[in-house]
Amino acid sequence: MLERSIQALQTDDAGAETPGDVRNRLKGNFPAGATRRMTTLGLLVGNALAALDPREDEAIVYASGYAESCALEGFLESFPTPSPTLFQTSIHPSAVQQLMIGRQAAVREFLPLSGGALFAFHALRAALLSPAPRAILCGGEERGTWLLEHGLSSSRTFAFAARLQPAGAPGALGHVRLVQGGGAGALGLGGWFDLLHRRAPFAGTIAPGWRMELEWA
Amino acid sequence: MADSALSVALAACGCVTPFGDATATHAALLRGECALRPVGFLGRDGGDAVPLALIPGRSLDETAPPDWLPAIRRLNDMIPAGDWGSPGRPVFVTGSNFGVGGLYALRRTGDESFATWGALPTCTERLRSELGWGPDVSIVSHACVSAHLGLLMASRTIWAGLADEVLVVSFDFLSPFVAGGFHALKILNGDFPSPYRERDSGAIGLGDGAAYAVLSRRRGDWALSGQSLFNEMHHFTSNQGDGSGFRRCLETVAAAAQGRRVWFKGHGTGTLEAGRLEIGAAAGAFPRAPVVGWKGSLGHTLGSCGMVELAIAVESVRVGRTPGTIGGGGLPMGERVSLEGFENGGFDGVVCASNAFGGAHAALLLCHA
Repeated sequence: MLERSIQALQTDDAGAETPGDVRNRLKGNFPAGATRRMTTLGLLVGNALAALDPREDEAIVYASGYAESCALEGFLESFPTPSPTLFQTSIHPSAVQQLMIGRQAAVREFLPLSGGALFAFHALRAALLSPAPRAILCGGEERGTWLLEHGLSSSRTFAFAARLQPAGAPGALGHVRLVQGGGAGALGLGGWFDLLHRRAPFAGTIAPGWRMELEWA
Repeated sequence: MADSALSVALAACGCVTPFGDATATHAALLRGECALRPVGFLGRDGGDAVPLALIPGRSLDETAPPDWLPAIRRLNDMIPAGDWGSPGRPVFVTGSNFGVGGLYALRRTGDESFATWGALPTCTERLRSELGWGPDVSIVSHACVSAHLGLLMASRTIWAGLADEVLVVSFDFLSPFVAGGFHALKILNGDFPSPYRERDSGAIGLGDGAAYAVLSRRRGDWALSGQSLFNEMHHFTSNQGDGSGFRRCLETVAAAAQGRRVWFKGHGTGTLEAGRLEIGAAAGAFPRAPVVGWKGSLGHTLGSCGMVELAIAVESVRVGRTPGTIGGGGLPMGERVSLEGFENGGFDGVVCASNAFGGAHAALLLCHA
């Protein structure tokens, strides 16, 4: 069994907000001028992660299936004179890097993941196996435009960041356990986000041979 | 226990490059051959000619299905059979680009068939189906240290007792998307790369590459230890000027390599500042180690480079001869840079290092088990 307590949690469901809405809502949370080149996902994930004030010795596990869909679209549209800025910001780990580079905040362990139907299991397994004293599991998605029409981006925009510590730490908001056993089942990133956002308990199979138990204080 | 204090067995590994498998690639590097050729960075649409190393028969232009699939199938034929992706037999797929060539072609042509291999989850799911893997397939993408992250995460599942054997697969195949991005950054240009050599301006080449590794709890002639990561988060595309990121990463590996005589397989893309910083850090951590880099021949195989070059390092130790640093002219950046190949029988370890955007660093120690 793998187990951690959830010591801090930030979630942000952007719902039907446009990229402009998100920027206007969050830009005041960043230093002046810092948001000019930040993406929608960078703003959302950065805002959630910043609230947890990550330290260098904390592992950051970043989960996003499609990551920087809008920067990808923009970069593709910039051909035949491709944009260097959009190339940089379109890479998968960009959202976390936008915050951390802005802060000049090094981190030893940074594990950017993508995933599909079993993404919650894969991201949690990565976070719970980290030997770092504390791990932050963060992530999110941003809604694309023409990539979405082809099924190549998320249809939702959201972000989360959860600090995980060894079970038993005082002041826990909740506990998450991965237990071997169970039959078929799957939980994607959106489903995991919804559980966090609603502080909803869960006990069930999230991947073949693996159950998740999520409890809240 | 910290990862750096633990060791994992490497039961098998291999790669596919423009030269062929690890044996053919190693032999070509020993002969000093260069796989890079000038190719217009926009493929059929032309653009400046830049040094690219494409798998023979493959075009920079995307096809549907992708014309890199035969190379993946060749790699898959090398992988020991093993019900991969089933419970207790996880797979970690790593890379930096996945189906971005398909996205480029989709945008350019509007042909929906290109969408089926586009984006990370879509591409990986198609690959999973193509190769007959079960559902436990994790996707790791951290630019050019992706392969190292996959090896570390795979190791942790073994150390935690969650798996006896784990398959790590890494691949990156070039497209106008990738070539265009690096050309826009001006480091992919008309010059061919000269890793670890002083000259007026830096330049990189890019290459196709795919590799696999099977990590095991019990069997294997090789061992990986001292696996180390460090992320500077200083700048998107450059490093701290004092080299601290390189040093912070290598200090962990140096501890694991204490008492060993090692040679150093560096990242060495051909950019000047990063080359100097890496050579300086390597000299500090491993003062007696000769340093080699192979991207002057293979090009930078991006997310797969850590495992492509690991497979070549294994072959180098197996054969007893290490290929030198291939490419271009100019004075070496330090006395430890080995431009020529050398006999490696007097060494008992290899430090393999990779770097990436965001000041990301990764390294490990390869030894006989």
